[in-house]
Amino acid sequence: MKSYEPVNAGRKWFKELVSKIVFLVLGRAFQSAAKFDPLIRREVAEWREGFVLVMRVLPSGPVMVMEKSGGLIRHKGSKLPDSADVTINFKNIECAFLVLTPQMGAAQAFAENRLSVAGDLMYAMAFTRCLNVLLTYLYPLSFITKRLLKRIPPMDFLKFGRIIYIYCLGIPFGL
Amino acid sequence: MLPSFYEFYNPVKIVSGHKALDNLPYELEQAGAKRPIIITDKGVVGAGLVDLVVSAFGSSDMTIGAIYDDVPPDSSVGVVNDIVKIYRQNKCDSIVAVGGGSPIDTAKGVNIVITEEADDLMKFMGAEMLKKPMKPLIVIPTTSGTGSEVTLVAVISNPEKNVKMAFASKHLLPKAAILDPRMTLTMPPHITAATGMDALTHSVEAYICLQKNPLSDVHAIAAINLVRKNLINAVKNGKDSEARLAMANAACMAGAAFSNSMVGIVHSLGHATGAVCHVPHGLAMSIFLPHCLEYNMSKCSENIGELLLAVAGPEEYVKTASADRAAKTVEAIRKLQRELNEICKLPMTLKDAGVPKDKLGQIARTAINDGSVTMNPVEMDFDDALGILKKAYE
Repeated sequence: MKSYEPVNAGRKWFKELVSKIVFLVLGRAFQSAAKFDPLIRREVAEWREGFVLVMRVLPSGPVMVMEKSGGLIRHKGSKLPDSADVTINFKNIECAFLVLTPQMGAAQAFAENRLSVAGDLMYAMAFTRCLNVLLTYLYPLSFITKRLLKRIPPMDFLKFGRIIYIYCLGIPFGL
Repeated sequence: MLPSFYEFYNPVKIVSGHKALDNLPYELEQAGAKRPIIITDKGVVGAGLVDLVVSAFGSSDMTIGAIYDDVPPDSSVGVVNDIVKIYRQNKCDSIVAVGGGSPIDTAKGVNIVITEEADDLMKFMGAEMLKKPMKPLIVIPTTSGTGSEVTLVAVISNPEKNVKMAFASKHLLPKAAILDPRMTLTMPPHITAATGMDALTHSVEAYICLQKNPLSDVHAIAAINLVRKNLINAVKNGKDSEARLAMANAACMAGAAFSNSMVGIVHSLGHATGAVCHVPHGLAMSIFLPHCLEYNMSKCSENIGELLLAVAGPEEYVKTASADRAAKTVEAIRKLQRELNEICKLPMTLKDAGVPKDKLGQIARTAINDGSVTMNPVEMDFDDALGILKKAYE
C-alpha cells in the first residue's frame, strides 16, 4: 500500500530575503525622512509617544517595527512586539514581494485586499500618506512612481538634495 | 475588465418581502436564540414600528428579554454600556436592531462588549480587533439608505474624548437582515429622498472606486436600476409599498456593493460636512455626487459612462454617443436632484443646506483625512477639496 507522509511547507528564501532588505531600507528611510519632510513630520507629531507600527508578512514572514520615542519615529528592527497600535499585514509573501519590489502601489494593494490592517484606521491612513511621500524619495524616477501613486509631486532642487541625503546617510546609517 | 485580484464577502441572509418581519422568530430560532433584546429609538417607537416587531413574535415560544428604545441620533459609548447592563440583567441571548444607522451601530457595539465579555469598548476600536464569533444579531432597517444591515463597520462616538470610534470586522456582520416595506412606510418625503440619494451614492462610488470588482458591480447596477424606477414614487407616495420594498432592496444591495469595494471622495466630503456643519449624511451625498463625478471624470469616464444605462435607462443610453455618456450620467443625476428638490425641497447646494461659506476650509481639511480618499480613483488634496466645495456651495 502506498504510504502517505506529511509534507513540510518549505520556504521562499529569495522573496523573504528581498522583503527583509526592503523592510530595512523602508524603516531607515522613514526614520530619516521623518526628520525633514514637512508632511511626514506633521503626521508623526500627531502620534502618541510610544506608538508602535508593525508591517509583517503573514503567516510567518519578515517583520518591520517602527516606534515613536523622544518625539521621533525610529526603526526598531524585526522582532515582533507583544502589541502594536497598527499592524499592516501582507496576506502572503507573493503580495509582499509585489508591493516591496515595487511592482504595485500600497493603495492598489489595499484595493485588491492583498493587505489587511489591524488597529486604529486613522493611524493606518496617516501611515499610508507617509508611505506615499516616502516612495517619492525612494523611487524618484517617474516611470516607477507613476505605477505606485495616483499623483506624482514635482521634483525640485530641495527634494533632490533630500533624496541624496536619504540614500547616502539615511539608509546606511539611520541618520 | 477584471481586477487582477479581488475579494467579496457577504454572509448576511437577506429576508425580503411583504410581511417578511413575521420570519423574525424563525430566523432567531435558526441562530439558536430564544430571548432577544430589541434595540431601537424613540422615533421608531413613535411611528408604531416596534409594535409590529413585537406582534411578529406572536404564537412563538420566545420571550423578548427587553426593549431599549432610547438610542440617540449619534450612538455613544454610554448608551452601549447601559444596554449591555440591561442585556445581562435580563439574561438575553441575542440582539434585534430596529432603526436606521444609529440603532444598528449601537447594536453592533453592544454585541462587541457582550461577546468579548469586556467593560471597555475602546480596546476593540479599529480594524480586525475582534476574534470571536458574535451573538446572533438580526437587523430590521427602517430607512433605505445606509446599508448598515450588510456592512462590517460600526461608528460609535465617545463624547468624553470627543472622538468617533470606528470598528471594522467581519464578525460584526448580522446573521440576517429583514427588509419589510411596512417598516419604511412612515418615513417622511425629504428623508426618503435623502436616504435614497445615499443608496445611489453608495452604488455609484462602489462602481467607480479602486476596489470595484465584478460582484460589487452587479450589486451596484441592480441597486441603481431600483433607485431609478422607484425613488420618485417612494417620495411622492410614501404608502406605495412596492416602491418602499424596492428602495429597501436598493439600499441593501448598495450596502453589499460598497462594503466590498469601498467609497470615495463623495463620502470624504460628506463625512467632513457632517462633522463640521451637521449636514445630514444623505443630503450631503446628494449635493456632492455630481460634482465629485465631474472631478473623477479624468480617470474613470468610461465607468461613469457605463452607469448611464442604469441611471437614465436603456433609451437614453442607446441614443447617447459613447464619448458623451459620462457627462450624460452626471446630467441625469442632476435631473433627479431637481425633481427631488421640486417634490420635497431637498437642497441642491451647500448654501441651501445651511453651510456657512467660512467653514469650507475647515471641511476641506477634515475631508482629506477621511479614510475613503484612499479608494478614490483620483487624488484629492486640500486645494482640490476646496475647489469641489466652492462648486457645490451655490
